[in-house]
Amino acid sequence: MKLLEYEAKKILASGTIPTPSSFVISKDAKPAFLPCVVKSQVPTGGRGKAGGIIIARSTDEFSSANDSLRSLSIKGFLPKTLLAEELLSIKQEFYLSLLIDKSAAQIVLMAHTNGGVEVEENRANEFLQLPLSGSNTDSIGEQLAEYYDLPDKTFVLQDMVENLFSCFVSNDATLLEINPLILTTGGKLVAGDCKMELDDAATFRHPDWQFEESTAEVNFVTLNENGTVATIANGAGLAMATVDAVADADMVPANFLDIGGGANEASVLAAFERIMQYPDVNVIIINIFAGITRCDEVARAIIGAKKQITRLPPLFIRLAGTNFEEAVDLLSAESIPTLRALDDCITAAKESQS
Amino acid sequence: MNESLLQGKNVIVQGITGAHGTFHASAMKASGTNVIAGTSPSRVGETIDGIPVYASIRDIQAEHRIDSSVVFVPARFAKGALLEAITAEIPLIVCITEGIPLHDMLVVTNALKEKGRSQLIGPNCPGTLLPGGNKLGIIPAHLSLPGSVGVVSRSGTLTYEAMDGLTRRGIGQKYIIGIGGDRIAGTSFIDYLELFENDPDVDKIVMIGEIGGTGELDAANYIKQHMTKPVYAYITGHHAPTGVQLGHAGAILQSADESAAAKTEYLAENGVFTATSITQLIRMI
Repeated sequence: MKLLEYEAKKILASGTIPTPSSFVISKDAKPAFLPCVVKSQVPTGGRGKAGGIIIARSTDEFSSANDSLRSLSIKGFLPKTLLAEELLSIKQEFYLSLLIDKSAAQIVLMAHTNGGVEVEENRANEFLQLPLSGSNTDSIGEQLAEYYDLPDKTFVLQDMVENLFSCFVSNDATLLEINPLILTTGGKLVAGDCKMELDDAATFRHPDWQFEESTAEVNFVTLNENGTVATIANGAGLAMATVDAVADADMVPANFLDIGGGANEASVLAAFERIMQYPDVNVIIINIFAGITRCDEVARAIIGAKKQITRLPPLFIRLAGTNFEEAVDLLSAESIPTLRALDDCITAAKESQS
Repeated sequence: MNESLLQGKNVIVQGITGAHGTFHASAMKASGTNVIAGTSPSRVGETIDGIPVYASIRDIQAEHRIDSSVVFVPARFAKGALLEAITAEIPLIVCITEGIPLHDMLVVTNALKEKGRSQLIGPNCPGTLLPGGNKLGIIPAHLSLPGSVGVVSRSGTLTYEAMDGLTRRGIGQKYIIGIGGDRIAGTSFIDYLELFENDPDVDKIVMIGEIGGTGELDAANYIKQHMTKPVYAYITGHHAPTGVQLGHAGAILQSADESAAAKTEYLAENGVFTATSITQLIRMI
């Protein structure tokens, strides 16, 4: 999941990585200090250019920033939270991030001397890239000081790299990006902005994780509101393949749906109900290939759903794999036909639409 | 990867007393795999479908040689289970478990490299099946047909779909391999392309990829340089939305060259026969 800036900075601060003094602004709040920088907390980039950051030097400016930012939509996102920070006097801006190189299965530190909003214009091969482990943080910190040309900050950067590494690991982060890393005119290194992504799979060991956005994996996506074929499948790969097969046969898929391994009556019913919202759907293709899933459970769910939802469009059902025979028996007892292959479902759907 | 590793006779199941472990230990046994034991610290001394339950791998090894382990241990305990298997130097570890945290997989991958005695397949994969022979994992063996096609796939359910489609057309398979959908995985497409190329019993290769990641592009480069046998490929997710993680960990489309269309085009440029749907792929073989 992706964190908002104020959430990420809270984690940085608890890992003793320097962040600007700040306060979260409630509606009608008075400023805790002035001047301050009021920043819209939206889950997207390009915030500064969109007018989502305002400097407030007086109580009036602060109130008007508070009002205007709350109603300023940035790339479709309205902020739920505003953050105010001390106004830093900037000498230089760097780029620093930690991420997981999945193909090499290691944590990598990336740095660039040119930080700030234009960082995406730096070429990928121009970044300093160093594999990071718990045992090399000191030498990486030293290399970083040399690279940034900040020899008097060697100790500071060594500490920072060590703290960032342990912050990254202990929080199950998959991305931690400080951009810009600000060198103030007073000679301090401070995280100006921070982007952080945490591993949803590790939620079980972080009972304290409570964030505004939880962009977990999704299992239902609308592809076309006016699609005519709805799809239900299990497994992300098969669900995508079912959509591809529908489109390949010149029909218009409405949705992607992976009901996953734990398919039960409630989840299948919920799926049908969502599908019934599409105005033009006149065919539903159900494609289940059970490994961990059991076909008979899916069959019971389909039977239950059929009884509860009237005016269901024709269902073209393909079930295969674990407990398939039992499922076919259950369905045929209710006079619900099943097909042997996805190909048969596609052909039947096409015929029913013509 | 080599064939003998997949044929290992003495197989154990880690996490045999969980719902999936129990169900699939029986299914493996029913399809002819020699499941000699399982582990589950809390139910030592019991048997599951005639398979004895031990506390640890070390206890099993006191009595048996172990060739491979199939891991069903839940995600939160999977790191410990995998490290136990790596420490015990089990030659092949097949991890079915999905949802293992990335940082845990970093630790596991490191241990694999340091110890250097084990090959991991997965995690988040359906495992391997040699039709008519060894089954390590959850691939429905009764839908396979022994023959000469090598199938390798990132997606679990699509692996079954391809196998079933081939069987219905009367085309038999030598290998059915699910490498798993996670971005940190024990084996890649290339490990099996190499195996299939070098096995004289294999005459055609089916490769099924997904959006996200670069494994299929690496495979395309390998195919161009090293493969003489025909490779047929389908990349699922031609109509997937961008920036959304669809189901399991690897299937997220972030950059244009990780899209199904771009991967398909790159595979075709490198001499692979490509399809735009799974049904078309099956018809091409």
